[in-house]
Amino acid sequence: MRSVPEELVTTAGIEAVPAVRLDHVTKKFGDFTAVDDISLEVGENRFFALLGPSGCGKTTTLRIIGGFEEPTAGVVYLHGDDVTGLKPYRRPVNTVFQSYALFPHLTVWENVAFGLRRRRFDDAEIRRRVAEMLELVQLTGRENQKPGQLSGGQQQRVALARALINHPRVLLLDEPLGALDLKLRKEMQIELKRIQQEVGITFIHVTHDQEEAMTMADTIAVMNHGRIERLGSPTEIYEDPKTEFTASFLGASNLMEVQVVDGSAGRVALPGGDELRVPAGRLPAGERKAKVGVRPEKIRLVEPGSAVQGNTVTGRVVDASFIGVSTHYLVKTAPGQEMAVTVQNLEDHRFRPGDDVVCVWNPEHTFVVR
Amino acid sequence: MTTTAAVTGRRRWVPYLLMAPGGLWLLIFYFVPIARLVEVSLQSGIFPRYRFTWEVGNYLRLFTDFLPHLQRSLLYGLGATLIGLLIAYPLAYGIAFRGGRYKNLLLVLLLMPFLMPFLLRTLSWRIILADNGPVVEALRTVGLLGADGRLLATGVAVVAGITYNFLPFTTLPIYVSLEKIDRSLIEAANDLYASPVVAFWKVTFPLSMPGVVAGSLLTGIPAIGDYVNAELLGTPEQYMLGNVIQSRFLRVLDYPSAAALSFSLMLAILLILIPYIRATGTEDLVA
Amino acid sequence: MTTLTGRRPRWGRIGLIVYMVAAFVYLFTPVVLVIVFGFNDNRGRFNFTWVGFTWDHWRNVFFGETFGGVPGVFDALVSSLRLAFLSSLGATALGTFIALALVRYRFKGRSAANVALFLPMATPEVVMGSSLLALFIALRFPLGFPSLLVAHILFNISYVVVTVKARLQGFDRHLEEAAMDLYANEWETFRRVTLPMIMPGVFAAFLLGFALSFDDFIISNFVAGPTEVTFPLWIWGAAQRGIPPEVNVLGTLVFLTTVSLMLANILWQRRRA
Repeated sequence: MRSVPEELVTTAGIEAVPAVRLDHVTKKFGDFTAVDDISLEVGENRFFALLGPSGCGKTTTLRIIGGFEEPTAGVVYLHGDDVTGLKPYRRPVNTVFQSYALFPHLTVWENVAFGLRRRRFDDAEIRRRVAEMLELVQLTGRENQKPGQLSGGQQQRVALARALINHPRVLLLDEPLGALDLKLRKEMQIELKRIQQEVGITFIHVTHDQEEAMTMADTIAVMNHGRIERLGSPTEIYEDPKTEFTASFLGASNLMEVQVVDGSAGRVALPGGDELRVPAGRLPAGERKAKVGVRPEKIRLVEPGSAVQGNTVTGRVVDASFIGVSTHYLVKTAPGQEMAVTVQNLEDHRFRPGDDVVCVWNPEHTFVVR
Repeated sequence: MTTTAAVTGRRRWVPYLLMAPGGLWLLIFYFVPIARLVEVSLQSGIFPRYRFTWEVGNYLRLFTDFLPHLQRSLLYGLGATLIGLLIAYPLAYGIAFRGGRYKNLLLVLLLMPFLMPFLLRTLSWRIILADNGPVVEALRTVGLLGADGRLLATGVAVVAGITYNFLPFTTLPIYVSLEKIDRSLIEAANDLYASPVVAFWKVTFPLSMPGVVAGSLLTGIPAIGDYVNAELLGTPEQYMLGNVIQSRFLRVLDYPSAAALSFSLMLAILLILIPYIRATGTEDLVA
Repeated sequence: MTTLTGRRPRWGRIGLIVYMVAAFVYLFTPVVLVIVFGFNDNRGRFNFTWVGFTWDHWRNVFFGETFGGVPGVFDALVSSLRLAFLSSLGATALGTFIALALVRYRFKGRSAANVALFLPMATPEVVMGSSLLALFIALRFPLGFPSLLVAHILFNISYVVVTVKARLQGFDRHLEEAAMDLYANEWETFRRVTLPMIMPGVFAAFLLGFALSFDDFIISNFVAGPTEVTFPLWIWGAAQRGIPPEVNVLGTLVFLTTVSLMLANILWQRRRA
């Protein structure tokens, strides 16, 4: 496949000197390529998420930035300096590990002070900064406890404090919320975002949870098979995922194979002959076939014969499930082809299985995937 | 993949450096002597002048002169292993499944007797099995022993001593593999209409097999090679291969035949071990 | 674990409990006999039948002309303690390094090393003792304390590796990465994180090595030479002539000491956890 196209890279590159730059980085473990020729820039003060399924290479990418893995090929820059061969303890980055990796034989205070002590700060300074940091993460009073005596959420905050106290220029977070229950995870998402804005440090956050990535990050890189599939702001990549993998990994999509009728005008045709419109410029030039998609919540259902504008596809409801905030429909549009439609419960009228319907959506909401 | 060590170019020699001192010790004082043992076993001559002559006859004596000793080594060693397994399994099962909060205490109690010096606790069996002792009296009363029947200075005493002395090596591995079994598997078996007895034979027992195998190896190997129990609790009539090796080396000073017997013992044990190593891989051996 | 409360006791369960009581009685009988016969007012050279109770042997051990009450036994005890301490110390150092290499690194020859470490444990002691003796004789290596030390370090190494390895495998590799992430270099990482974490395992390995060495008879019997007498060798020699009950007293003291050490270690480890 291709390396990341130039236009994708520049969406994240903001300042002249990015906080992190990966230049054609590859990591192989034997025959297995974990990271495949990634080039990437992360700007200063960004909250950047590496999002993807397990085994996609996101954690390896993070570990390469942290210095725990040496890339097989390529160069890693931190603030313009080449750090590729540097040991973790010589890099101005700190990591919050998935398992937290708190030292079980040390107290909370000793854990948080660990980095400053290694850097030979004087005792008064260490005491002051540890107290300050424990206050920031609301753990004052727990100084003398061992990590084993804390709850999961508290351990998570110790791990965060232990990394942040060193004022790293980049903070790496490897699935930091993975071990927490749902409610705590939601709270910590907000909390982490608040802390990031407060300390103004670049965060690079690895996660497989798309909702978590979208809640916190200002830039998301979707990874698959060691490559970056899509890079951009949460809205950009959701509204125009550009690849089939991104479209299906991030939320739900209805994908349709179409014939290109007139590429420059954005006209395509479904196998049945119905014509759809696509925003101009999204169709790849010179192709006769394409795959287009639309999100279920962008579609409205109307009765056949209603006067409507936009893209329309006729079909018959095969399933309707009421789930409170909305109703999910499954509409059979052609043999072997079904469309998922999510309709907010604004009106009393609901369709039932067997009803003939027309699916309608704004052509602007149609995206094209590779 | 994320747990793979980040071994960079210049750190590749670190593991070898760590291995070197202990590895050399093992090489010089274990592998070299075993190799020399093979060499000595093929020598001939009269003390103290032995020469290397490919004297295969030293090995043949195992099946001529020392056949009874070989037979006794196998009989006593394997017998003690089997009896040990029968004693150890319920004990390990009891500790693992019924120990509750006393589990650690019971494990300590299991090991405690073996802090008494080995020779003294072996000599105790002379008192237990003495001709006028309680065990012999009891067996005479129920008629299992004749009026002048005795236990001491018989194979029974030797097997009893071996069984007792190696019991922790039999019990601990079984305990470990029983302890590892996920309790919900047994509940699942019960849920699927298996009675407790069926659940034991179809689920618990097969899953504890690694422990049974490890326990029998850890017991069987030293048991077959043992000579202390035969010496202290038996008579020359009960002597095993170990006794012969010991006396040929230390008293008769017939090094070639002693070395041949010694290496045969090692070979026999390797033959037992190789399929086991093949089946489990090397990783679990030392773990 | 389910307990007996609130359920109808089942015969299988009761049978198992009875069996376990019997098994522990079996395990402890020889030990109790060793202790009891230290109080036996025996006649003649042998101490295998109960005659009557006496404190004489205990008094003799502590207040006799030499400690131990029997000539030579004190020296034998000292020899064994010295041997056990030094050999276990040496084996613990060598074995800990090996365990670190085996758990922390993937390198060529690693599985061969695993087999090589397993073999000494699978070797009957007569084989190990006899082959070492043959080597020592060929090298004209001095038989006595030096040869004993070499042999005891050898048979302890594998046990140390097993014990330390178990501890190393139990801990999260990310802890070391976290230390390095927090500006600790390789040595500081080992000193501040790895070593404190595996210390209980290293200490347990030392105790195990000490116990194995102190109690070893078979290998010592081969390589000790004519003059160096360890405690087990002394008992062996005495057993040929008839054992005075003072030996039972000393055995009891060894037993009580090691049991207290074992219990102290357990309590210490529990407090650390």
